Amino acid sequence: MATNKIKVDALVVGGGISGMQTALDLADQGYQVALVEKEASIGGKMIALSKVFPTLDCCSCITTPKMSAVAHQENITLLTYCEVDHIKQNGKGFIVGATNKPRYVDMDLCTGCRQCEYVCPVDLKNPFDNNLGAIRAIRVPFSTAVPQKVVLDIDNCILCGKCQTACAVDAIDFTQQPEEIMIETDSILLATGFEVTPKDAKKEYGNGKLLNVIDGLDMERLLAPTGPYGHVLRPSDGKEPDSIAYVQCAGSRDETLGVEYCSRVCCMYAIKQAMLLSGALPLADITIYYMDIRAFGKGYEQFYQNAKAMGIQFIKGKVAKIKEDENQNPVFRVEMVDEGGSVVEHTHDLAVLSVGMLPSFDPTPIFNVPNDTDGFIMTPDQNFSASLTMIPGIFAAGAATGPMDIVDSIMTAGSAASAASAYIKSQQNGKEESSSKIADLQKESQHA
Amino acid sequence: MSIRVDPDLLLEIKEYGDGEVETCFNCGNCTAICPFTTDDYPFPRNMIRLVQIGAKDKLKQSIDPWLCYYCGDCSQTCPRGAEPGEIMMSLRRWLTAQYDWTGLAKKFYTSKAWEIGSMVVLGLLVAFLALFLSGPIVTDQVELNTFAPVHIIHIADLILAGFLTFFIATNVFRMHKNIMWDGMDKKVPLKLYFTEAWELILHTLTQKRWIQCDEDKEEKEGISKWLTHLLMMSGYGLMLIMVVFFLNWFQTDEIYSFWHPQRLLGYYATAVLLFGSGSAIWGRIKKNTQLHRFSHLSDWIFPILLLAVSITGILIHSFRYFGLPIATYYTYIIHLAFVAPMLVLEVPFGKWSHLYYRPLAIYFQAIKEKAKQEQASAKTAPASAD
Repeated sequence: MATNKIKVDALVVGGGISGMQTALDLADQGYQVALVEKEASIGGKMIALSKVFPTLDCCSCITTPKMSAVAHQENITLLTYCEVDHIKQNGKGFIVGATNKPRYVDMDLCTGCRQCEYVCPVDLKNPFDNNLGAIRAIRVPFSTAVPQKVVLDIDNCILCGKCQTACAVDAIDFTQQPEEIMIETDSILLATGFEVTPKDAKKEYGNGKLLNVIDGLDMERLLAPTGPYGHVLRPSDGKEPDSIAYVQCAGSRDETLGVEYCSRVCCMYAIKQAMLLSGALPLADITIYYMDIRAFGKGYEQFYQNAKAMGIQFIKGKVAKIKEDENQNPVFRVEMVDEGGSVVEHTHDLAVLSVGMLPSFDPTPIFNVPNDTDGFIMTPDQNFSASLTMIPGIFAAGAATGPMDIVDSIMTAGSAASAASAYIKSQQNGKEESSSKIADLQKESQHA
Repeated sequence: MSIRVDPDLLLEIKEYGDGEVETCFNCGNCTAICPFTTDDYPFPRNMIRLVQIGAKDKLKQSIDPWLCYYCGDCSQTCPRGAEPGEIMMSLRRWLTAQYDWTGLAKKFYTSKAWEIGSMVVLGLLVAFLALFLSGPIVTDQVELNTFAPVHIIHIADLILAGFLTFFIATNVFRMHKNIMWDGMDKKVPLKLYFTEAWELILHTLTQKRWIQCDEDKEEKEGISKWLTHLLMMSGYGLMLIMVVFFLNWFQTDEIYSFWHPQRLLGYYATAVLLFGSGSAIWGRIKKNTQLHRFSHLSDWIFPILLLAVSITGILIHSFRYFGLPIATYYTYIIHLAFVAPMLVLEVPFGKWSHLYYRPLAIYFQAIKEKAKQEQASAKTAPASAD
């Protein structure tokens, strides 16, 4: 196995909106940055979303320029389809081992012309569309992917060789092996993002087996201009739903799932989707079942009020159970908390679970960066230096540190870049860091 | 309408069980998951809310806690771990204490020393009394009726029955006053008490509402809890009738043939009592069902007493069968020492009181509903005549 070595000032793990912003903020200051992303394209969760709240800007339109900026910033070494294996302390800096997974395509030769994709006979569920649409075994991950290069899903490939014949530049190489990369860096920034509550988490909501019970990310794809159908259609029969209902806190604030925290984004994304649905399906009834609406950010409360004014119905009460009727319509059982407390059964065409945010990456097997009790990376000084972890030289940004929306993710990305910049400078100038409460905490944890 | 608020109500209720009233954020999950919820009785959340705001009077007038059979769906799915099912259980204990004018129920539920102490004292007292009043000890053969003459025991039985009737009747009167008089704006017509009496008999004998609890469950929990409970109740019902009204026939030195109804009935009752109390104790040790996860002292004492009574009963029977006079006599004394506290303390003041409170609550609910229906139809009738 060939080993490549690179030396940088900062390594950013994760190429979502937080990681991209962190990398850009550091690179723009002149630092050498390596950005490691496990997927074949950067963009993270945000590039798959439809619109952002509360401005209703198009997500692709904001994210794609950021992705291009990362790709074109000459101080950034972009390592996609690459995963971090181990981290070792190296004086005050680190040595990071990462593996470049084989794409079975020569990155230098591939032009992204997609001729291979057009001839590939294997149709698969498209993970970018949350498995709602279809994609080929060899493909550009999605239309605005960066880098715009194909990747071959070797597990599902039938090795027919059609792509090889179609490729004009002879870029397809079925013999590619994983490549190891050694990255020597002064600092590490973890922007590893989040996962959402699995659909089968709650048996009261059908264990993920009810076809017309989808989650918030599914709905994002249905609403996105680049989505699988170009329409909002329900999965069981492809019908346009006349009545769509949201189940709030389907994965947050729920002790039975071990998630006691509020995921902070679900109220707002449900309201946003409800608004977009009012546009996409003007005749549909849209209902949001909630425990509390938490519209805490700038412009959020107004956004909520607008949604109410638009005729979106808000019902206070936690949905206790979803069953299915003979037409596969989801039937909700809920207490009308604000209306005398009687229990009703409401039938809708399509149910959307407002799933919550869960930690996606646990760094502890790779390096001792402590997690908080909620499973997200611990940032002990939340009030004054929110991006500092318990290890000097390792910083965290975005939803890796806890549930947050895009606005906050970008803010913490800037904060992490700024903290890392100060750290790198002090290391390179041979100065000790200033003593602070957090430095003491970090020292204590290192001695422990 | 004003509500008098008692800020200490929450602390008071917490003495009666393990629920976490203060963690509830009123999402309504428990009410919506409950198979018994109706528009007029949307529990458990409304009950928890009443505790949270300290609406003591409203709580006293509630039927809802008696309509819950603790299947545990609410506790299992509560997003706050507030244990609504256990709160309902605490409320049943608390209501029992509210109905009881002597204050003994409250003492038993809130003080372990009182509960165990009074059981022990009464048990010993009965044992000494029985020893003191006992007849000559015949050792040639088993003559239990010479040792403990059946007519004396029968008199004691009737005194006991009178005692129980007095306390149960007065407590039930208070329950009725709370629910049917204080809890309603209008008195219901008397005739409804007769027309709905069938409900009382039906629910006492079948407990059929409980079946609803087991319905709609994906994982069945072995033999249905309803059936176990019904068998156990048939056992002690039978025993109670035989011992209180037919003691002459039941307690005899003559050993009947195996197929004699006296022996068959006795065996049946003993078997189901052993099974019922044994499975209750086993469940509480294993904590393997929602119903058995939390155990208040009163939840232990009741099945343990039942088990002890059954076992000593079996021993008396076997000793007599094998002709061991001394062993028979002393086991009989021990048997009485368990029976007396079980009947005297558990039935009117303890957990066993649910035997009449629960069917009565369902009966009162039926009357209330009927009255409501009649009122509604009385209102619409003149309107349609216009």
